[in-house]
Amino acid sequence: MTNYKIIFTGPVGAGKTTAISSISDRPPVSTDKVASDMTRDMKKTTTVACDYGTVRLNDDDCLHLYGTPGQQRFDFMWDILVSGGIGLVLLLDNTRPDPFQDMTFFLGQFQDFIDQTQVAVGVTQMDRKSSPCIDDYHSHLNKQGLTIPVFDVDARKRHDVSLLIKALLFSLDPGLLENND
Amino acid sequence: MDNRTRPVKIAALGMEKRTYSTLQLFFNDHCKDSYVLVEENSADISIIDMDGFQACRMLEEHKKQYPDQPSILISLSHDKAHDAVYIRKPIMLDALSSALLKAKERLQQPVTETPAAEEIVQKPEQQTTDKKPKAAAPLLLNNVTPPPQETVRRAKTGAKRFDQYRYSANFLTEDADLEHIDTRLAANFNPDNPLQAAEFQYQSEQTLQGYFQQAYFTALQKQQNVVLKGVWRPITILYKSKQLRVEKNFRHLYALSGMLFDKSEVSIELLDNDADCEPGLNETVLPAEPFLWKLAMRTSRGRVPMDTNFTAPIKLIRWPNFTRIIVTPHALRIAALWAKQPTSLMNTASYLAIPLQHVFMFYTAAVSLNFVAPAITEKDQTTATTPPVKRHRYRKIFQHLLARLRNN
Repeated sequence: MTNYKIIFTGPVGAGKTTAISSISDRPPVSTDKVASDMTRDMKKTTTVACDYGTVRLNDDDCLHLYGTPGQQRFDFMWDILVSGGIGLVLLLDNTRPDPFQDMTFFLGQFQDFIDQTQVAVGVTQMDRKSSPCIDDYHSHLNKQGLTIPVFDVDARKRHDVSLLIKALLFSLDPGLLENND
Repeated sequence: MDNRTRPVKIAALGMEKRTYSTLQLFFNDHCKDSYVLVEENSADISIIDMDGFQACRMLEEHKKQYPDQPSILISLSHDKAHDAVYIRKPIMLDALSSALLKAKERLQQPVTETPAAEEIVQKPEQQTTDKKPKAAAPLLLNNVTPPPQETVRRAKTGAKRFDQYRYSANFLTEDADLEHIDTRLAANFNPDNPLQAAEFQYQSEQTLQGYFQQAYFTALQKQQNVVLKGVWRPITILYKSKQLRVEKNFRHLYALSGMLFDKSEVSIELLDNDADCEPGLNETVLPAEPFLWKLAMRTSRGRVPMDTNFTAPIKLIRWPNFTRIIVTPHALRIAALWAKQPTSLMNTASYLAIPLQHVFMFYTAAVSLNFVAPAITEKDQTTATTPPVKRHRYRKIFQHLLARLRNN
């Protein structure tokens, strides 16, 4: 069996675990632990190693979905996780104090990987806080010369997460056939 | 009742429910009891939508059962067969009126006479000889809740202009979705042929889309709320939240997408930002971008705004927020291609092997929101001349994944 992987990254609480659950074939293996640091103010548990889900493509191939732990102190794992990955999904929490700073940080951390592949950005929690809007994210990205997909995403909705992954795939290869849309 | 005064009974066959209702509205409110919709078995004349599933079979059966009944056939294509009156979509109201009169004439002819197939040609300059029933713009305005007196006056003036310029009311296709765009029409499209080019272009400035676009960007630029007035109920654009305040029954606005409005019929007014922005009892608040996207998409119907260059490279400025708007056919692929490499409309269709009209529709919706622009920098021009994007080594795997994302 040949294995492929997509990496989900982003700050704590952005919905990486939820997004992987939305599209994984089986309940994802999660390494959530009771939060003991400042994260506990945001949610009860947090991912300390990684989340893992799968999508079976056919008899021979399987896609693995890896979610990185949100806290920076686990960043040593990020390089390991991205090795051999086909693309990156960056989830950002719109309710965080400075989501642009988060975006810049994660795009910088994964720059080498993005240069070799592609990235799609999902902004979560927009129903709770609508500002900044998607246009503001694009303005920031355009200043850096980036034209990448940025969607308003509800990580619980398979439709939203699927579209984000589709955008990632078409960014990798616009020549893909869309016979399944 | 005298035959001359009794309403002509019309059967509408093969039509969607909403199209049927629109036709009913048209007859009820604007034909002054001249026509009435009835069941097929009691009709004098039938109107048949030939683009529906099994429409040909339905027509054959209808002809067998009611050989003497005059028919009006509406279709995107213009195949002529049968002794029927043809109207090509999109329908113009005066053409429909003429067709009804022709069919009425045939109704009065002796049965032995077999009339030939006849197409009602719809040209912008066509002079109508038909005065009754009065076919004009207000058909679509009937969906609007009664507007204030001043607006009614404007609407009537607008109707005259509408009639004068023979605008395409497009009303019979108002509920048509993306599948109804006949992509075969652009199969042999040649952008260098001015006649063909004109067929796939439209005056966006004079449509509701154009006026809304202008109002929306005025609001953003001036950082001021704006109200757009016309024959519709006022649409207030709230610049800060990028929302619009509109009447609850706002869907009829999409039905106006096929009409052209003279500048004198429309006004864009700046509002005091401190004014109350809360929606009234019969109003609702919508996000502006998805509204304009959909309006442009509906207005486009596989065409592009006038003066669009079909062969100049286009680049993507920003990705549309696809989770919250209608994803037009192949939109993700087109966006990805234009983000990667500026490409002309013609080449996009060719590289991606997709119908040109799907490219046109995406372009029109995207350009209405400034998501795309002509590639003018030197760097853009260089990338635009490079060969189309290469096949990814994992394409087969991606294809499987796309299938899985759809199927689950």
